[in-house]
Amino acid sequence: MDNAKPQLMDRPKAEAKHAASETSGAALVSALDELLGVQADVALDAVPVPHRRVERWKYTPVAAWWKDVLASEVQTVAAAGCEANPVPGLDAYRLVFVNGTFDAAASDLPVHTGVMCMPVSQRGDAPLQSADAFSPEESDWFAGLNGRYSQEGLYLRVAQGVELDRPILIHHHTCGAGVFNVLRHDIALGLNASVKIVQWSTAAAEADGAVNVLTRADVGEGARLHIDKVQDEEGTVRHIAFEDIRQGKASQVEVHTITVRGAWVRNDLAFRINGQGAHAELNGAFLPGEGEFVDNHTTVDHRVPHCTSSENYKGILYGKSTGVFNGKVFVRPDAQQTNAYQQNANILASDMASMNAKPELEIYADDVKCSHGCTVGQFDSDALFYARSRGVGLEAAKAMLVHAFIGDVLKGLAVTEVRLEVEHRLAEKHGWDVWSDHLNDDA
Amino acid sequence: MLKINELKASVEEAAILKGLNLTINPGEVHAIMGPNGSGKSTLASVLAGREEYEVEGGSVDFNGADLLDMDATERARAGLFLAFQYPVEIPGVSNINFMRAAVNGKREHEGLEPIKGKAFLDMVKKKAQLVELDGRLRNRSVNEGFSGGEKKRNEIFQMAMLEPELAILDETDSGLDIDALRIVSDGVNAMRSPERSFLVITHYQRLLEYIVPDFVHVLVDGRIVRSGGKELALELEEKGYDWIKEDIVA
Ligand SMILES: Nc1ncnc2c1ncn2[C@@H]1O[C@H](COP(=O)(O)OP(=O)(O)O)[C@@H](O)[C@H]1O
Ligand SMILES: [Mg+2]
Repeated sequence: MDNAKPQLMDRPKAEAKHAASETSGAALVSALDELLGVQADVALDAVPVPHRRVERWKYTPVAAWWKDVLASEVQTVAAAGCEANPVPGLDAYRLVFVNGTFDAAASDLPVHTGVMCMPVSQRGDAPLQSADAFSPEESDWFAGLNGRYSQEGLYLRVAQGVELDRPILIHHHTCGAGVFNVLRHDIALGLNASVKIVQWSTAAAEADGAVNVLTRADVGEGARLHIDKVQDEEGTVRHIAFEDIRQGKASQVEVHTITVRGAWVRNDLAFRINGQGAHAELNGAFLPGEGEFVDNHTTVDHRVPHCTSSENYKGILYGKSTGVFNGKVFVRPDAQQTNAYQQNANILASDMASMNAKPELEIYADDVKCSHGCTVGQFDSDALFYARSRGVGLEAAKAMLVHAFIGDVLKGLAVTEVRLEVEHRLAEKHGWDVWSDHLNDDA
Repeated sequence: MLKINELKASVEEAAILKGLNLTINPGEVHAIMGPNGSGKSTLASVLAGREEYEVEGGSVDFNGADLLDMDATERARAGLFLAFQYPVEIPGVSNINFMRAAVNGKREHEGLEPIKGKAFLDMVKKKAQLVELDGRLRNRSVNEGFSGGEKKRNEIFQMAMLEPELAILDETDSGLDIDALRIVSDGVNAMRSPERSFLVITHYQRLLEYIVPDFVHVLVDGRIVRSGGKELALELEEKGYDWIKEDIVA
């Protein structure tokens, strides 16, 4: 064990020993190495294979398929069947990645002073940020997989004081069978720089395989990074995403994660707040339908004094769906005057749906304000009856309550067009026709 | 318009309505009075289709249709309206969007297109004037943070928007000061017509000075024990409910 590393943040590395004995993927790994021509600089063996005995995977069974990922055929399909622009009316720079390959024809890169924005493969000699002891690659097998195999993604550097004039839309699309879609986005913002990013994931109806996206961002002093992250994937792809975020002094980072659709989705956000006066905001809404699985794991690590974090996740679970929320907040001994808020509220819209929610606050400083709340309930029957007694149909009444319930999360999205499109897609998925009307009024 | 025959209903296994009969013809205003806990709100909820209430027997005919066979939405769309004793707060749903969903629900039932924005807003303006509903309340969440009086006015505003054939007002007078009582009553009276009927539930006679009923019924222990004209309300006010109760026992 590395003694320099505080025990506090130790993720399940300690569990590696017993879990590693489950590993029989070594042969598969080397086969994939050969296929991709990868030099094995990230040692997957050091990290526990996801297993239910590992706390982080307790409610998220992967035993049945984790090896499939290694057996994928790696495809590099050109932009076949990719939606032209998933967000109508959005005026944005665009980077389109189809099955992990950059689609230059479909992309539109900024030409902007002080901004380096391109696919990783075109960055030349410019260095990538490396993972450190706290990066997810060090503790999570899937992140390790990303570290070993990702070769493409967004490379973004924004110089001091530069505010990008339009959002950057990163569109991940997956199509075909047995796909292994691995991407790593590498972002660094200089002093007082500012950028909005939209990460939009789609998959074709026949798609299956894995999507594995890691976003690493170093947000400098006074810089602002807003990420609207939307997952709307058809097919049976399993989507796993990591955010490895390091915040400098007085920086502001917001990540809004909306899961519209997805057979199996795991989001794993880790914020390290390294500079005083910084603010982190993590919001999410997930509305899994029949058979879908959505897992949101978050970690906010307050390491220095005078910072704030605010977290608001809302889930509505339909049919036989499953949700997981795990929110870790660490307040280290030095992080006095921290103000950390966490809220996770869930509605089970069906008797068959289930939700596993767990807030985990570890507070080692005494002069802090930390609050958290976690609820799992049903639709408010008084409100439903009231609406129905006015002639509103049961489904429309529920849709109205849904909108009210996740409205604060949707309003937090950084880009208006993204919010409108998310609302449109949710309404389409769930068959709500009252929605679009409602929304325009609020705007 | 409404014919209730031997209606029996229970909630959580407790029998509340124990064979209730009542007939309301078009244009009539009926008042139901009775002591607390006698089952007045239960009757209102059962008629409006609240599912927690179990109908154990009897029948309710509404304009030739079996009311008990419809769900709450269908009853509302068929022209039944309930002004709640305790209006429900719905945080995050604006009053105006709530009403638009309601109006469009009714229009859908009638085979009409959803109402156009301008026509809807004009209608809101007109109906809000009827009960002097503060314009700001329209954009606030349904009943959230409304005063008691504002909630009751909002109920009457909603009634005016939906133009029901039969309106049940459950203790609309409770929590109203005298000015609000007059405003609410004027709103109701403005809506009286030969085609529209009202069932006014109240504990006190005071409301009936403003909304003058054609018939007054006294509900005790789940049954109507006495019916009469508007003078029955005055008699009740004078002698109290105990008088009726003693009268029944005797
Ligand atoms: N939802 C309910 N659950 C349990 N008991 C109820 C419920 N609603 C009404 N009751 C009971 O039914 C009886 C009649 O109540 P209610 O109809 O509200 O009377 P009123 O409106 O005449 O004051 C009371 O004894 C009350 O406690
Ligand atoms: Mg009552």
